Amino acid sequence: MSVQLSTGEKSLPARLSIKKLAWLMGGRHIAPNLFALSVWGFVTGVAMVNYGLAAWQAVLISFLVYAGSLQLTVAPLMALNAPLWVVFFAAMIVNLRFIIFGASLYPYFRHFSVLRRMVAGYFLTDVGFVLFMNRFRAQRPGRIGMYYGYYMSASVLLWLVWQVSTVLGIYVGSYIPGAWSLEYAGVFTLLAIVIPMVRTHPMLVTVVAAGAASWVGQQLPFRLGLFMAIVVGVVAGVLAEKYGKQGRKTKKGGAK
Amino acid sequence: MSVEYVLKATALMVLCAFITRVGYLLIGGYIPLSDNVKSGLRYAPVAALVAIIVPSLLPWAQGEMPRVGPELFAGLIAGLAFFRFRSILVLIAVGMGTLWLLRWVF
Repeated sequence: MSVQLSTGEKSLPARLSIKKLAWLMGGRHIAPNLFALSVWGFVTGVAMVNYGLAAWQAVLISFLVYAGSLQLTVAPLMALNAPLWVVFFAAMIVNLRFIIFGASLYPYFRHFSVLRRMVAGYFLTDVGFVLFMNRFRAQRPGRIGMYYGYYMSASVLLWLVWQVSTVLGIYVGSYIPGAWSLEYAGVFTLLAIVIPMVRTHPMLVTVVAAGAASWVGQQLPFRLGLFMAIVVGVVAGVLAEKYGKQGRKTKKGGAK
Repeated sequence: MSVEYVLKATALMVLCAFITRVGYLLIGGYIPLSDNVKSGLRYAPVAALVAIIVPSLLPWAQGEMPRVGPELFAGLIAGLAFFRFRSILVLIAVGMGTLWLLRWVF
């Protein structure tokens, strides 16, 4: 597996072991999510073929683009032969959140070479990002030794599992009854990532606000609601943090 | 869908993925962020995940009435199961089990 990686740098043994540790940790932390992600990848593969893409086209897209929610958004549009600018626009809306992720990751990654940053960008996923931020948010950016290894071992494992399951979905998916609704297994997993993150009052406000916005936002075209909900959730969290300090009490908070 | 159309669309998707995922990591140094924005970014992951989850559990198709169905209850029960047992496999099993059961019953 991807535990060993030559760093290409002259490092002290102690430093090297930190890097190895980072690779091990990344793999270990992503592991509990892999089964669920494989279900999701499988579902994505099934969906792309169901929308009329040829198997080789679906495989090509999966490897080049590697963005599940983007693919699931764009495939139905392509099935309708939507104009290319519509395809591009919808893809951008769905993927806008990665700009926010990139901004969060930047302080940690800015010391890396251009090539490494591009590689990191290709492997950027929701789950990988959340995992990384959960691990390193508490520390101030600066312990460069661990970032790349941790991020890459988690991300590459995720990538492998995702691609294998997507290709499987593309080729055998048509034999699986749609009534099983396997896509929900993927959705449920995300709950397991969100729930432990909601520890503070402002986080709960973010959940409620983003949830409400994304529910109503389904009425917007191009899945614009996804981006809108992120903005609403972030703003709500910031406001709750700011004003929560003075007037604590009110608000109960919903489920999840 | 002609092959040409698919290839062009794929090229655009690659462009999109590049701009959104690599863009900020490459040129972020030239776009300084205020402290407010930085602290706000802490809420982005949770907001993004919730924004992906909610439409699946509470679908509301354009031009139709909002739907409250088995998906929501399956999600809630799966969430509770996870809260109690802290296991993703339990969560998936309980969630899918509930979903199938509710759909079978109703």
